[in-house]
Amino acid sequence: MKQSAFFNFSGKEGGQMKNIDLLKRTDTVNELLARYGVKFGIYKNNTFKEQLFPFDAIPRIIQRDEFTYLEKGLKQRVKALNLFLSDIYNEKRILKDNIIPEEFIYASSGYLAACENIHPPKDVFSHISGIDLVLGKDGNWYILEDNLRVPSGASYPMIARDLCRRSSPQTFHDYPIEDNRNYADILKHALDYVNTGGLSVVFTPGRYNAAYFEHSYLAERMKVPLVSSSDLVVENDHLYFIDYSGKREQVGAVYRRISDEYLDPMNFKEESVIGVPHIFDIYRKGNVALLNAPGNGIADDKGIYYFVPRMIRYYLGEEPILRNAPTYLPFYEDDMKYVLEHFDQLVLKDVAEAGGYGVVFGNTMTKEQKENFIELLKKEPRRFIAQEVIDFCDIDILDGDEIVPRKADLRAFVVSAEEPVVWKSGLTRFSRNPDSFIVNSSQGGGFKDTWVLSR
Amino acid sequence: MGVKSIENTDRLYWLGRYSERVYTTLKLFGMSYDTMLEEGAGDYDAFCRSLEIPNIYESSNDFLEKYPFSEEDTNSIASNLRRAYDNAIELREEIGSETLAYIQLACYDMQSARVSKAPMIEFQKVIDNILAFWGIVDDLIEDENTRNIIKIGKRVERIDLYARLHAGHESMCREVRRLEGRIDRCNIHYKKGVITRLDELVQEETLNYPEILKEIEQILEV
Repeated sequence: MKQSAFFNFSGKEGGQMKNIDLLKRTDTVNELLARYGVKFGIYKNNTFKEQLFPFDAIPRIIQRDEFTYLEKGLKQRVKALNLFLSDIYNEKRILKDNIIPEEFIYASSGYLAACENIHPPKDVFSHISGIDLVLGKDGNWYILEDNLRVPSGASYPMIARDLCRRSSPQTFHDYPIEDNRNYADILKHALDYVNTGGLSVVFTPGRYNAAYFEHSYLAERMKVPLVSSSDLVVENDHLYFIDYSGKREQVGAVYRRISDEYLDPMNFKEESVIGVPHIFDIYRKGNVALLNAPGNGIADDKGIYYFVPRMIRYYLGEEPILRNAPTYLPFYEDDMKYVLEHFDQLVLKDVAEAGGYGVVFGNTMTKEQKENFIELLKKEPRRFIAQEVIDFCDIDILDGDEIVPRKADLRAFVVSAEEPVVWKSGLTRFSRNPDSFIVNSSQGGGFKDTWVLSR
Repeated sequence: MGVKSIENTDRLYWLGRYSERVYTTLKLFGMSYDTMLEEGAGDYDAFCRSLEIPNIYESSNDFLEKYPFSEEDTNSIASNLRRAYDNAIELREEIGSETLAYIQLACYDMQSARVSKAPMIEFQKVIDNILAFWGIVDDLIEDENTRNIIKIGKRVERIDLYARLHAGHESMCREVRRLEGRIDRCNIHYKKGVITRLDELVQEETLNYPEILKEIEQILEV
């Protein structure tokens, strides 16, 4: 389905957009974001720093029909990914039927053998899925990657919307925009749905985590405790929150913002001091829900991404609604040949990296870098994927008084309880550097609100 | 929310203490600032002695630059504000973003004061934001226990500072009464004997400040 994704200042609708009162309030919104400490953490030269996340008031606008299409495609994808996770750690039908080669499962760093034969509460694995998309200049949306471990970013458009409404009420009176301030309710419902009895909590590794603002803000908005490892203890096969008087209160659902390897020093990295000993053991017994489920890394592995359309056909018997970016696996001989022949036109990604790291563009390498990279590629073909560089649409941003085009993506959030729900918003991140495709906040990017029109 | 961890109880208490420390020392500094403007004038050594902080300053100017702003000096006002912030930032879900915002704003104002030619104007904004913070604690925090732990921290710190500054009978009696009226309204563990002893001490004709300090410093059960 070809889409006109957002109003553009150069287009017909752009003339209308330019007069939107909100655009004159960019500074006000950014001041309010600073007031409320809307920051992310970053380590530079081994020093932790908190930085404000620059906000651009020109929204990404998604038409109602277009959102309906995206919603359908995202639900389909997340359903298939959940079925894949349940299958891969249990029956493994998809391997037996040769839909995905075994090598891609067992060689992946995202696969956790400890998760074998586990069905989490209600069999939901990816409670919160962050799906990154871009809009191509051909009018098609492309999935760039699936984030099924600890996807972050929903809190930023959530609070920004609140502050935009405060800064420019007229805008929200004039335009039919879906309210996105229900994210905490959707999320809380997902926690309650799988809760095995007791409190629901947000579990943070601490304030020096890059996304600490989000952890604390979501806990505040859901009205649940924000806890760290010292607040939790496993006793008698159950998880307890210890209050200041030493009293124990049972915990039934943990929205953990800590990666698998640090979750439980008795089962994973034994040097972890931010995990809870034996939490994984009681999860295995079904005595606590962990959101998202451990082991999800196998489904958002960049190598597995290639197989998601096959998963959709296999588990749901449907054609994928949303497209993957054209991807090649150097693991396959034919694909390796193609990659070597078209090296300069491709972007190469290290499957073990995230956050915009480990991404290189063939055409930006020197001769020597290219030779070294190809040598590495041949030595470790499973480690990389190659993708066509999608010529994706620029999006307008305000640069001082000037309006300039920049690359941007969209992280859509799909929250799964009884059924997957696509949040009627999302995090639009943009590159502030005119020559860059990298939109990550850790690499200097900014963010926008994402409006889904209600009519 | 109903449940509160031992860490958050501790953070609430220290948020109360550091916010009070910033407020009172900033007011005190404001009074001294004017007297030190002329080269060589003002007694910063007396200031340090009264607060029992080491005099690491080389001159009045050095004192005026470092005492309010230095991040390396652990006794500076900026360091104390930073500690208030460090506690507050980990309490967003307990105290709420609206409440936390006033500590954040005080930090921004302190940064503005550092580069201002007239820092007292910016300091007033820091004081205003601390006052607004205490106001919103009363107004917005529903949980009585949470409110009271912050206030107990504030009261303990004020008694501590007033004792160091050799405040008069009236002030000392008032602050001890305020603490006494508050401390049983939350579940914080404290030594009841300390309150009784403080009551006796502030009734004495000649105030025994070192003894008051000794008592107030051991009020919490650890």
